[in-house]
Amino acid sequence: MTTYFVAGIVVGSVYAIATLGLVLTYTTSRIFNFAHGAVAFFVAVTFYQATVNWGWNAHLAGVLTIFVFSPLLGLFLWAVLFRRLTESPSSVRLVSTIGLSVALPALAPILYPHIDAVLQPSMLWSPAHEYTIFGVHVDSNQVAVVMAAALIAVLLTVLMRATPYGLSVRAAVDSQSMAGASGVNTSFVTAVSWMIGTTLAGAAGVLLGALRGFTILQFTFLLLGSFAAMVVARMHSLTLAFAGSMAIGLLQELSASQQFQHFLEHFASPTNPIILGIRPSIPFIVMLVLLLVYNGLQEERFAIDTRSMAEPVREVVVGRDQRWWRRLLPIAVCLVGVLVAPEFLNGLWLAIVASGLALATAFLSYVVVTGDGGMISLCQITFAGIAAALAAQFATNHNVPVLLAILLGALIVVPIGMIAALPSLRLGSLYLALATLAFAQLVQNTYFQTPRISNFGQGVAVPRPGGLAGDRAFYYLLVVLFVLVALLVRNLERSTTGLNLAAMRSSETATATLGVNIVWSKFVAFGLSAFIAGIGGGLYASYAGAANMNQFDALLGAVWLAVVVTWGIRSITGALLAGLSFTIIPQLVTDHLSGRWLNLPTLFFGLGAIALARDPRGILHRATTRRHERRIRRARRNAEPADRVAEPIAAA
Amino acid sequence: MTDRSTAADRPLLEATDVTVRFGGLVALDRVPLTVPPATIVGLIGPNGAGKSTFFGVLSGLIRPRTGTVRIDGDDVTRTSPQVRARLGVARTFQRLELFGELTVRQHLVVAYRAKRRRTLFDLARALPLDLVGLGNRPAPGEDETVDRVLELLGLTAVASVSASAIGLGTGRLVEVARALASQPRVLLLDEPSSGLDARETHELADVLARLRDEEGVALVLVEHNVGMVLGLADDVTVLDFGEVIARGPAAAIRADAAVQAAYLGTGM
Repeated sequence: MTTYFVAGIVVGSVYAIATLGLVLTYTTSRIFNFAHGAVAFFVAVTFYQATVNWGWNAHLAGVLTIFVFSPLLGLFLWAVLFRRLTESPSSVRLVSTIGLSVALPALAPILYPHIDAVLQPSMLWSPAHEYTIFGVHVDSNQVAVVMAAALIAVLLTVLMRATPYGLSVRAAVDSQSMAGASGVNTSFVTAVSWMIGTTLAGAAGVLLGALRGFTILQFTFLLLGSFAAMVVARMHSLTLAFAGSMAIGLLQELSASQQFQHFLEHFASPTNPIILGIRPSIPFIVMLVLLLVYNGLQEERFAIDTRSMAEPVREVVVGRDQRWWRRLLPIAVCLVGVLVAPEFLNGLWLAIVASGLALATAFLSYVVVTGDGGMISLCQITFAGIAAALAAQFATNHNVPVLLAILLGALIVVPIGMIAALPSLRLGSLYLALATLAFAQLVQNTYFQTPRISNFGQGVAVPRPGGLAGDRAFYYLLVVLFVLVALLVRNLERSTTGLNLAAMRSSETATATLGVNIVWSKFVAFGLSAFIAGIGGGLYASYAGAANMNQFDALLGAVWLAVVVTWGIRSITGALLAGLSFTIIPQLVTDHLSGRWLNLPTLFFGLGAIALARDPRGILHRATTRRHERRIRRARRNAEPADRVAEPIAAA
Repeated sequence: MTDRSTAADRPLLEATDVTVRFGGLVALDRVPLTVPPATIVGLIGPNGAGKSTFFGVLSGLIRPRTGTVRIDGDDVTRTSPQVRARLGVARTFQRLELFGELTVRQHLVVAYRAKRRRTLFDLARALPLDLVGLGNRPAPGEDETVDRVLELLGLTAVASVSASAIGLGTGRLVEVARALASQPRVLLLDEPSSGLDARETHELADVLARLRDEEGVALVLVEHNVGMVLGLADDVTVLDFGEVIARGPAAAIRADAAVQAAYLGTGM
């Protein structure tokens, strides 16, 4: 038991180091860095590269990566990204850092192709000195980690409470412009805090690598442990962040102890996957429970604005640039392309494009929940996965016709989607994103692992629909179903419900005071999006032949979001292109580049999400607005200055 | 004017003893307000007097520590903004809360249709229609009401302009128009004239007076433009640091020495 206790304190200390960095950057810039774990990972593999592959001395490499490389990385990220995000709507901040969390881990294997998770170089002593304190065996490394965490906590508290820097931080948080006007250099303050934040992430990363190995999976756990601790800390309390990290580390390690396992055996067999899933899920369980019951978070709803991806749209008169043929052209081109494609594609490429279509159908769910509803959900992939798993059960184990099975699966996830919408009823977009992430991880660790679903990692078979089993026939079926679902989405957008959602995206408060039923609107958006994700997931599994849960990994969900954002999260064409590029680009990379570049598409999608988070209509719209602006400028030069409709509301 | 404010009809909207605290700060201290039908009630006071907070309480966005809010005599203190909207309360916002992606006309359409979809049954029945593409047809009476309100506030010319492209003054009028399109019985106006020029302010005052006289709408008017309030309102409440320092007909308020000292200064 004491072994687990010591291990828990050590893991908790690593969490604490990471979480304190998150608190610092969040309080100085109001940006919740979803990429905190990715930064930790990136620094850790840099350390690995330096020690193992370049043969540097481990102590030196550790000091250099943590105290030189990490702050420089933080400064770089601040200069190119975080600096511009501070004034953005919260959804843009969220999507940008999610994009970064996709891009950084994808960049690592391209820069460092030879990372082997088996080796675990440590910057501390190896072998460690062993001590016995009060009858408890500890080693010098464990002591060092715990003391480092405690020291950092004390130093940060002093820094924030008792130094001019801390005062500037608090001033900058209240009002950037006000603090700037009274002589506080807000750029300096935020830049320094990002440098410290990244350094702490880096330190946690290097330590965690030595403890658990240098795989992104471990860093995801670090990240989620820290996120849970952030919720405990209500995003801003250093003390609670420290205590929360320790508690989660302890809970996680103690749950591995025999006593706890015996305790669980009262309820279920030790091999029960739900029981096995509990330990990795502790951070999410803590997070979900807190998000649902914690009252202090409610106030944050107005502090963290509920404004969505509702950046002012640029056109002055709605529809002026939207002549019907111009509007329909992209989708028409895409559809014609998709329809004639089978004539030119061989078997492999037909399969690639077909799975792209199935994914595109699933991606339409983002158009509903995020594009229209303005809510950032990180569990769409989980809805798709649950529906696919259910469809497999119905089709294979209960002999339901496969299309009906897919429909049933998708219908069953509708109420699940509505449950996932619950946090959005009382919390802002950041907490909703965290809750959906926790939900996705929870389902993945438990339900997806049950033998009945996972089938030894291969997934349960999902047959093709009878009569349409041929590759080409099924391909055309996918085209038809995509169009049908797209029509559903378009109809919703043009309906009263769609109007209400658009209103809600801009001002939930004003919409509520008009008497629009906000709860209903959110349930509709989430429920429908779950249904659409379910249909897409079921079709994807059916085309692949099995519902393999590895394809519905919660982490992959962030990549899904990134690719949809890149192509335009409020556009049906965007979803189509996102689906197609999600399968086509990786295949192109596999065909033409060496294994080192396998993550290149993911890197692109991550960077795309960062670049385009601001523009909910994505890359396509960016291109057309540019053209439109050029035309307007030309027209202005040629014509007399016409009456402008009005000045845009800037300062209001 | 005075006969209206002292009329014995049951108040449409009534607040008693409303107290709101933010941390240690008392934003409102036992503030009462009575709004009879077809009257204009003015609410004035310096910055930070608690006017906007009081509107938050009346419209259901802020829950008071103590006190009650009644509509038609029914206690609605614990009800949501949606419920109050259904009972006929509408409001505008001092800090514009426009729907940046909708046109001016669509603002009014959202407001008008919100009334038509009241119960869960209405909503559930409408959803399939929305999904098959029959959900964007105007509701009965919608076009007439929306056109009339646009006309009333002089917004017809900008009806198809996106709200993100209109100016601050027009934005104020859109706020008022949106609230009116929900066909309220009580309209809470938070600084409707700020950002308007003198002519626009005058026109707005005319519209407000007509709403009261012709449509029987009750209005609660929070304003910095004291001249406008004293000219329009039947009854005025003066707030200072969360407390009522004066209440009564506009003429009496104009003469009140305490108000002069605390708020109006010597400039009036």
